[in-house]
Amino acid sequence: MNLDTDFMLSDFPTVFAALPSTLLLSLDSMLWALVFALICGGAQLAKIPVLDKVTLVINTFIKGIPLVVQLLFCYYAVPYVVKWFDGLTGRAYDPRHLPYFGAAVLALALNFGAYITDVVISSARAVDKGQWESAYACGMTRFQALRRIVAPQIAVISLPNMTNYFIWLLKGTSLASIVNVTEMLTTARLSASDGYQFLEAYIDAAVIYWIVCACIEWASGRLYRSAGRYLASPSGGALQHSNRS
Amino acid sequence: METPSQIVAKVFPGIVAHIPQTLLYWFLPSVLALFLGALLCWARVSSRRNPLYWICTVSISFFRGTPGIVQIYIVFFGLPKLIWAIGYDVSDWTAGVYFIIATTLNLSCFMAETLRGGYLALDRGQVEAGLSIGFNRAQNFIHVIAPQTLKVALLNIKNLEIDMLKDTSVAYTIGAVEIMGYANRMISLRSGVGQLWILGTAAVVYFVMCAVLEVVFNLATRRISRYEEAAR
Repeated sequence: MNLDTDFMLSDFPTVFAALPSTLLLSLDSMLWALVFALICGGAQLAKIPVLDKVTLVINTFIKGIPLVVQLLFCYYAVPYVVKWFDGLTGRAYDPRHLPYFGAAVLALALNFGAYITDVVISSARAVDKGQWESAYACGMTRFQALRRIVAPQIAVISLPNMTNYFIWLLKGTSLASIVNVTEMLTTARLSASDGYQFLEAYIDAAVIYWIVCACIEWASGRLYRSAGRYLASPSGGALQHSNRS
Repeated sequence: METPSQIVAKVFPGIVAHIPQTLLYWFLPSVLALFLGALLCWARVSSRRNPLYWICTVSISFFRGTPGIVQIYIVFFGLPKLIWAIGYDVSDWTAGVYFIIATTLNLSCFMAETLRGGYLALDRGQVEAGLSIGFNRAQNFIHVIAPQTLKVALLNIKNLEIDMLKDTSVAYTIGAVEIMGYANRMISLRSGVGQLWILGTAAVVYFVMCAVLEVVFNLATRRISRYEEAAR
């Protein structure tokens, strides 16, 4: 087997240099996914009349469609949307510089937001009702009880599942390479295309993904062990889902 | 100028015609991964002094810690080289074969962890009860351990299988032609005219397939936990 180890070693820093863009894409998407999930989850938990059904339908639909289709859809929709906004935001439409990064963020955020909604809902339901009642008994308003008593518990309970989804999201960002977003896999492919040494470059990328995911998993385990030490039951009955991508 | 309904009417039969291909890319890895995953799970619940335990743990960590698309690329570019080194030429294999091999490996590792969760949730008393009424180890596995493990693991297996069905769409990146590959080819053949409608049609087809799979798994869950309800 002729594996070009020299190229593999020399290409490693090149691929590694693209790690920040992958992390930026992941964090950006995770932020908007959380916003989306909190809106959907809040609507469904508070049973806001029309909104809860609408978000449920949207989430169900998103969960039934491959991420690739969503990414390509957002990718192809970018020119239309940008053209539509032309002049509205004070920026002229320029077909050479389209915001594909934003399109990838939108697709990833919607896709993972739909899954994280379930985490938000199940974690919120895992908090004991007595916590709300004791907060009210202390004279807190609904908002105070949520902010000071319940929300911190929801955050801790949802931590393991959130990390699972974040790792899944990080792996999902590699799919953004098919829509011209410059992240780690795109960098690996471009750096390899000169000498057709794709295998070596992809192995480099795989090793970096592996290390990053393992680090996140380890860190989240430690965080949960210190943050979750006051919880009665560590698992909290939260939703389990495998982080597959 | 075609109206959207004309575009959809034109590509819909082609997309439906590629459903069997997508189902093949879903079904083969699923079945293979169930067996391979069970083997990996068996190694994972064995003693830590067993070298197999460490081999399986590291490979499961690798396949769970790297993106599926990277694994597909590595198999796609690496496997022909590996087999060439042994002395065979597999350059005429279609892309689908590499996709199936890569996803089988990937899915097996997730399946192994899922089954392991089910196995660890199994009450030890059940195993002992099975042995005490005279089952040998194989009988005990078939009649006691496997059904109860599956019962616990089925919810996660359902999620895995639905993800697997959706992940078949990644196969088009290495040139396999299934629903997504067909949709993508139509988009490039039509130079992008009506691309959003073509993708939308594919999305609806995927959604329907996932919904059917969900219903099937819910029926299976109800069947496999029927003794539970009778006891209640």
